[in-house]
Amino acid sequence: MIEVQNLQKIYNVKRRQSFFKSYKESIEAVKDISMKIEAGQIVGLLGINGAGKTTTIKMLTTLIEPTSGTYSFDGINAIENPSFVKNKINMIAGGERMIYWRLTAYENLWYYGQLYGIDNNTLKNRIESLLQMVGLEDKANLPVETFSKGMKQRLQIARGMINDPKYIFLDEPTIGLDAVVTKELHDEIRKLSKVREKGILLTSHYLAEVEELCDYIYLVNKGELVVEGTKKDLTEYVYNRKQYCFSVQGMDENIIMRLHNYLISLDIDVEIVQQDDRAIITSKFELSSALAQFAIKENLIIKELYEIEPSLEQAVIKLSQQICREAESIA
Amino acid sequence: MNNSMRLFSKVVWAEACKQHRNYFNNRAIYISLFVWPVFSFLSAYYSYSAFDIRGTFISYLSDDNILLFLLIGYMAMSFFRSVVQSAWRFSMERQAGTLEYIYLSPANRMAVLLGNALSSVFESSVVMLIFGIMIMYYQRNALNIDVLGLISVMIIFVVMALLWGVFLNACFLYSRDTDFLFTVLEEPMEIFAGVKIPVVIFPYWARVISLIFPLTYILEALREVCLNHADIASVRIILIISIAIIIVLLTVTLVTIRVVEKHMRKSGNVILF
Amino acid sequence: MNFKVFCATIKKGIQIRIRAYPVSFMVGCILTSFYTILGSYLMYHYFFLGQLSESFELNARTTDYMSYAIVGSLMYQFIVRTCLNVSRTLITELREGTLESLMLAPFKRTSYFLGNMTMQTVLTIGETAVAAVIGIAFGFRISDFNLYHFIVAISLSLYGFFGLSLMLGCVMLYTRDTYISQNTLFAIIFLVCGITFPKEALPYCLQLFGNVIPVTDAVTLMRASLLGGLTDSEFLYLGLQEFILGTIYIVAGMPLMKHVEHIALEQMEG
Repeated sequence: MIEVQNLQKIYNVKRRQSFFKSYKESIEAVKDISMKIEAGQIVGLLGINGAGKTTTIKMLTTLIEPTSGTYSFDGINAIENPSFVKNKINMIAGGERMIYWRLTAYENLWYYGQLYGIDNNTLKNRIESLLQMVGLEDKANLPVETFSKGMKQRLQIARGMINDPKYIFLDEPTIGLDAVVTKELHDEIRKLSKVREKGILLTSHYLAEVEELCDYIYLVNKGELVVEGTKKDLTEYVYNRKQYCFSVQGMDENIIMRLHNYLISLDIDVEIVQQDDRAIITSKFELSSALAQFAIKENLIIKELYEIEPSLEQAVIKLSQQICREAESIA
Repeated sequence: MNNSMRLFSKVVWAEACKQHRNYFNNRAIYISLFVWPVFSFLSAYYSYSAFDIRGTFISYLSDDNILLFLLIGYMAMSFFRSVVQSAWRFSMERQAGTLEYIYLSPANRMAVLLGNALSSVFESSVVMLIFGIMIMYYQRNALNIDVLGLISVMIIFVVMALLWGVFLNACFLYSRDTDFLFTVLEEPMEIFAGVKIPVVIFPYWARVISLIFPLTYILEALREVCLNHADIASVRIILIISIAIIIVLLTVTLVTIRVVEKHMRKSGNVILF
Repeated sequence: MNFKVFCATIKKGIQIRIRAYPVSFMVGCILTSFYTILGSYLMYHYFFLGQLSESFELNARTTDYMSYAIVGSLMYQFIVRTCLNVSRTLITELREGTLESLMLAPFKRTSYFLGNMTMQTVLTIGETAVAAVIGIAFGFRISDFNLYHFIVAISLSLYGFFGLSLMLGCVMLYTRDTYISQNTLFAIIFLVCGITFPKEALPYCLQLFGNVIPVTDAVTLMRASLLGGLTDSEFLYLGLQEFILGTIYIVAGMPLMKHVEHIALEQMEG
C-alpha cells in the first residue's frame, strides 16, 4: 500500500528581474496532501490546472523529494529508498511524446526493459504478452512514427507495464484521443486494476473519465486536499441540495417572481436562477409536487419539469467556484 | 557486485543500441559524419599549398608526411567532434520527455551516458577511420611508427574520447543553452586543439586556450608515435597528463550526475546550469 | 516583376526578423569567419613563418596572403548567410504551413525571391562589415581599390548567389531537409571555390567542379576589385563568365522551383 501523509513541496525559483538582478521566490506547489493507494484500486486525483496534481505524481514516483511529509511504500520509507520504489512503479503519460519514434514498438519496450535490468528471456516473453495485451502484436516491428495516436498511446501503456509494476501512475492518459480509443483504453485500465491487481493513480482533465473509472477520488485545489471519498460521497458533499429544471409556456421574470413568492409562502427556502426560458431551482426539499401545483394554480402549461442529476463535473466546478468565493470573501 | 556489473553493462548496451537505431537508421547522417570531415580535411590540406613547407621549424614535417600529419589530426578530431554532435542530439531527449522515463527507472545514470557515448564515438567515426587508414596505407612510406607506443596511445585515446563523450553528454543534458556549448566546442576545437596547425608553434595566448581541449594532448602523442617514431618513454609526460584528464573527466561527470539527481529531486528540473 | 509583391516580401521578412532576430545564428556566422581568419593567421605567421609558395604568388596574383584569405572568408560568410536564408524561405513556409496559402495567391515567384534576397543582402552587409573590422585587426588591407570593379563584382556576385540559392532551395524543398543539404553545399564551396587558397592547387576534376559554381568567379572578382591583380580584360572576361553562369542557374532554377513546389504540395500530409 502507498500511503502519504501531509506531503508538502516548496519550490525555490530564481526569477530574473534584469540581466544582473535576480531574486528568489518560494512557490508552494503542494501544501498538504495525504492519500492512500491500495493494490487493485483505481484512485483518482482531480483538480483544475495548477492544483498540484503533477507535483504530487512526481513526488509519488520519487522523481522529486517532498519538502516535508512522510511517504510509506509497502511499509518502507520511500523518500529514503527511491530506487526500491522505482523498481515497483511506473508511469504512463498522455500524449505522443516520451517514446522513441524511430524505434519500433518492440525496440522501445526492449530498451526500457533493459533500463530495469530485466533478464533477457523474461523480457522477451513479457514484451510479447504486453504487445498482445494492447493489440499491437502485428505492429511490433514497425517504427513508432508510422503509428496512429491511439496506437502510440497503447504502446505507452505497454511501456508502463514493462517492469510489471505494482503501482502505476497515469497522468492524463487519454488526452487528445477520440471517443472510441478512449473507451478501449478505459477497458484496458480497468483490466489492469481488476484482473492484474495493480494499484492505479489516475489524474485526468476529463471528469467523466474519473467518474467512470475511479473507486476513490481525491479532489485537490491549490495544493490542498479539499475532499476525498467515493464518487457518491463526493457528489453528495456538494449536492446536499436538490436541483430542478422548471419551464412553462410564456416564462418571464414575472412568473419567476410569483413562483418565488409561492414557494416562500409554503415556507420553502429556495434559490432561483433564470436560464433562457427555464428556471433552475435549488433547494433542500423535494419540490416536484409544489412546482406542479404552482403551474395548476397559475394556469400555466408545463414544458419541462425534472430533477437535475448531479454529476461529478458539476461538483468540481461548483466546488472550485465555492472555494474561490470563500477566498475572495476572506480577502 | 557481479550483479550490479551485469546490470551496468546491460544498460550501456541497451543505450548504445537505442542510440544506433534512433539516429543511424538514416543514411543521410553518414554524409554529415564522413563527407563534411573529409571536405574540411581536404580544404585544410590544399590551404597548405599556399605556403612553402620548408618554412616551418617543426623538424619531423616534410612535403611527404604533411598529408598524414593533417589526416591524423582530422581522424582524431572526428572522434572528438562526433560526440559533440551526438551529445547535442542526446539533449533533445529532455524536450522529447524520454529523459524523464530514464530517470523514472532505477538504471545507472553513468551507464546511460556511457552507452550513448559508446555508440556515437564508434559509429560516427568508423567511416572516417576507414578512409584514413586507406590513405595511410597508400602513403605508408611516409609513416614512421613506433608500434608499442601507438598501441598504448590508441588505448588512452579511445578511453579519453569516450569519457569526453560522457562528459559532454552530461553537459548538454543538464544545461539550458545547448546552442552556446555547440558554438563554443565545434570550431575552436579544430583550431586550438592543433588539428590543422601544430600547437607548439602557437603564440602564448593561443597555447593557453589549447590546454582546455583534451584532444590537444592526445593528438600530439598520436602524431609523435605515428610520424616521429616516438616510444612510450618520450611521450610519457603527455600520456600522464592524458590519464590525469581522464580521471578528472570521470570524476566531474560522476559528481555532476549525483548533483543533478539531487537537484532534480529538489527542484523537479534536470537543468543544472 | 511585381513591385507590390517585392515590397510586401521585404516588409514581411523584416517584421519577422525584428520580432525574433536569430542572434545566436548571426553570432555563429561571424564566429565562423573569425575562426577561419584566425586559422589563416596562425598558419601564415606562426606555422610557415610568412613563407609563401611560388605557386600561390603566381595564381593568387598577390603576395598579401592575409588579405587574400580574409576577402575569401568574408565572401564565404556572405554566401552562407544569403544563400541559406533565401533557399530556406520556401521550406520554412512549408514547415510553418503557410506554403499552401502562398501558392493560392496568383503572384510571380521572381518578385518573392528577389524581395527575400534584397532584405537578406541588406542584413548580411551589416554582419559582414563587423567581420571585416575583425579582419583589419588580422592584417586585412585594401591595397588597390577600384570602385567601378567593386560595383560590378557586387552586382554579379548577388546575381550568381541568387541563382545558387534557387537551386539549393529546390534541393531543400524536394528532400525536405535543410541541415544536410546546406552544410554539404557549404563544405563543397569552401573546398573548391578558392576561399582560402587558389583553386589551381586542387586536382583538375575538383577545379572543374569549382568552375560551375557561381561562387568561384565571384570571389575572384571581388578580390580583384579590392586587391587588384587582374587586367581590365581579364576582369571583363571573368565577369561575363559569372553572368552567364548565374543566368543558367536562374533560368533553370525558376521553372524547377515551380515544379518542386507542386511536388512538395502533393506530398504534404493531410
